[in-house]
Amino acid sequence: MNDHSEDSGPAQDTPCEHCGIFTLGGDIPIQGAWRDITYVPVRDNIWSVSEGIYRTVFLKGRKGVVAFDTLTTPGTARAYAAAVGRVYPNNPIHTIIYSHDHLDHTGYAADMAPDANIIAHDLCDKVVRARRADGQLPATEVFEGERKSYSIDGNDFELIYPGPTHGDGNIAAYFPDSKVLFMVDTVIPGVGYTFFPDWHLTPYVAAMKRLLSLDWDVFIPGHFWITDRQGFIDSLDFYDRMSDAAQQAIFDDLDPHDWAEVTKYTNQNLAGEFGQLFRFEEYCAMNLSRYMQQYLTGGWGIEGNWQQETTPL
Amino acid sequence: MSELNTGIFTADNAREYLEREPEMLIDRVSERMWTISDGVRRTLFLEGNNSIVAFDTFGTPGAAHAYRKAVEATITGKSIATVIYTHDHLDHAGFADDFAPDAEIIADEMCAKVVRLRQSRGQRVPTRELSGTRHEMEIDGLQFTLLNPGPTHGTGNLSAHFAEENLLFSSDTILPNARYGLMPDYHIWNFVKYMRGFLDLDWHTFVPGRYEVTNRERFVHGCDFIEAVQEESQRAFAEFVPIWVMDAMQGYVAAKLGDRFGDLDGFAEHIGLIATRIVHHYLMGGWSLEDTPEPGVLLADEVA
Repeated sequence: MNDHSEDSGPAQDTPCEHCGIFTLGGDIPIQGAWRDITYVPVRDNIWSVSEGIYRTVFLKGRKGVVAFDTLTTPGTARAYAAAVGRVYPNNPIHTIIYSHDHLDHTGYAADMAPDANIIAHDLCDKVVRARRADGQLPATEVFEGERKSYSIDGNDFELIYPGPTHGDGNIAAYFPDSKVLFMVDTVIPGVGYTFFPDWHLTPYVAAMKRLLSLDWDVFIPGHFWITDRQGFIDSLDFYDRMSDAAQQAIFDDLDPHDWAEVTKYTNQNLAGEFGQLFRFEEYCAMNLSRYMQQYLTGGWGIEGNWQQETTPL
Repeated sequence: MSELNTGIFTADNAREYLEREPEMLIDRVSERMWTISDGVRRTLFLEGNNSIVAFDTFGTPGAAHAYRKAVEATITGKSIATVIYTHDHLDHAGFADDFAPDAEIIADEMCAKVVRLRQSRGQRVPTRELSGTRHEMEIDGLQFTLLNPGPTHGTGNLSAHFAEENLLFSSDTILPNARYGLMPDYHIWNFVKYMRGFLDLDWHTFVPGRYEVTNRERFVHGCDFIEAVQEESQRAFAEFVPIWVMDAMQGYVAAKLGDRFGDLDGFAEHIGLIATRIVHHYLMGGWSLEDTPEPGVLLADEVA
C-alpha cells in the first residue's frame, strides 16, 4: 500500500515551520517536502510505516492510535500522520513513543500530533530537553531503568532499555502476545549505516543480544525492511566480524582517515565475506574506518565506555 | 614475554603493532619547552626545577616508550613526575603505565570518569582531577593555564595556555590542515565557538595535537573552515543532496568551498568525510548531552 493521494496531506514543499537545529534561516525545502508513505499490517494491532528509508510502527487502539516516532522532517511527520489517518480515519494519535532522541526519528512531534502524550526513556528526554530543537517536543511521561510494561488503549507492550546502543535512551518495544520486537537504529538489514553515527560500540552487541532472551520472531528495524530473528543475529555477527577486521586493519598500518586506501582495503579484504550484503559498496569502508577509531581512541564518552552487560532480560 | 598493555585490543596478534617504537621528532619551543611528534600525533613536555611535566603518552606502549626515551635524552637527570592528559582518547593518553608509571596524572573530571569506566589496559586513572573551566597551574616552578571551555573533542579536553611562550596547545581540535577524516568524537554544536574563545587570550604560536606547529592566523582559518563546512553541509541537506552518499557530499561541498579552503592540505581527500559527518549533526541533532546548546552545566550534573 502506498499513501500518495494528493488530497491526503499538505501540498508538496510547504514552508518549513519547524527547523530542528538548522541555523541556515529562511525556508529549508527538504524540511517541508511531502513524502509518500507505505504502510503494512504486521500482526494484530501492529502496523509498520516507511517513507522508503526510515521505518516505524503504530498501534490501533480502541479510541485512537499509539504511534512510535515522528519520522524525519516536518513534511514526513505530517505524511506519517496522514497515513495513520488513512488506515484508521477519525482515530487521533493520542500517544507518541520516542524510540530515542535523534531528530531524524523523533524530531517533529509538533508537526505530527502536537497534543499527544509523549513517552520516552529518561535518558532520551534529558537530551531532548537540553537540545531545545525546534519541533521536537519533550516527553510528558518518562520511565527509568530497564523495563516498563504499558497497557494503552487496549494495547499491551513493554518498553525495554537494554543499555547504551545508539543515541540516548534508545528503547525496544516488545509485543509479547504478537511475538514482535521493534527497535530503531540498531539492527538494520545489510552492513551498518554509514560511519555508525552515535553508536556506542563497546556495549552495543552485548546489549542487543540481551533482547534474544525474549520470545519474538519478527523484528521491525528503524530503517528498510522487516526481518526475523536470524536476520537480527546475522546483523550482530557482522559487528563482531567488523571489530576483528578493524583491529587487523590497524595492524596492517591502514590509516582510517585515508578514504581511498580504506576503500581499497575494504574491497580487497572484506568483499569476499560481506560483498553480498545490502549497501556494502556505500558503507562498508565507513563502517571499517569507524571501528578502527574505536580501537585507536577507545569508546566515546560515558555511553561508549559502558561496560558490557550480558545478563538476560 | 613481558606483560604487554594492550589498550582495548582483543586480537591475539596485536603485539608487533603495540611494541613498535616510532621515530620521534623533537623541536625546542623555548628554554623550558619542547614539542614532540611521531609523524602524526603531537604533544609537549616541559622542564621544571626538579622534574619533567609531560602532556599525554602517545597511543601504544611502543610509542610511549619512545616518548619517554626522547624526553629523558632531552632533559637529562630529571624524571617525569607529572603527566597531564589532554583528553581521554587512547591514541593520546592511553599508555601512562608505559610512559611514566609513577607520575602524578592530572586530568579533567569528565576525562577521569571515562578513563575509569573504560578500564583500558595501560591507561592509568588520573590521580588529580580538575573541575571547571580554568585552572592556573604552578608545578615545579612552571606556570601555565589549563582550559576546558566545554565539550570540543573527546571527553574533558584540556587546552594549555603558556603566556610566557605566547603559545596555545590544544589536542585534536583545530588542525593546521583539512585532515579531520570523519571528525571522530568531535562535538559539533559549540566546537567553533569554544575554539574562537581561545582568541581572547594572548598567543601567537599554536601547537595542535596532530601535524605541524602553526600560528594564530592559520588557527582562525581553521575555525573559518569548520564553520563554512557546517553551513554548506546544511545547505546540501536543504537542497536534497543524498547526504548518506559520500561522493555526493564531496562533490557538493568541495565545489562550494574549494576557492576559500582548497589551500588546506588534505582538502580534496577529506572534505567529503568532514561534510558527511557534519551533515549528520543537523540531521540527527547533536550526539548526547555533550553536544547540546549549554553542555557545561549538564556535564557537571552527570559527574555528580
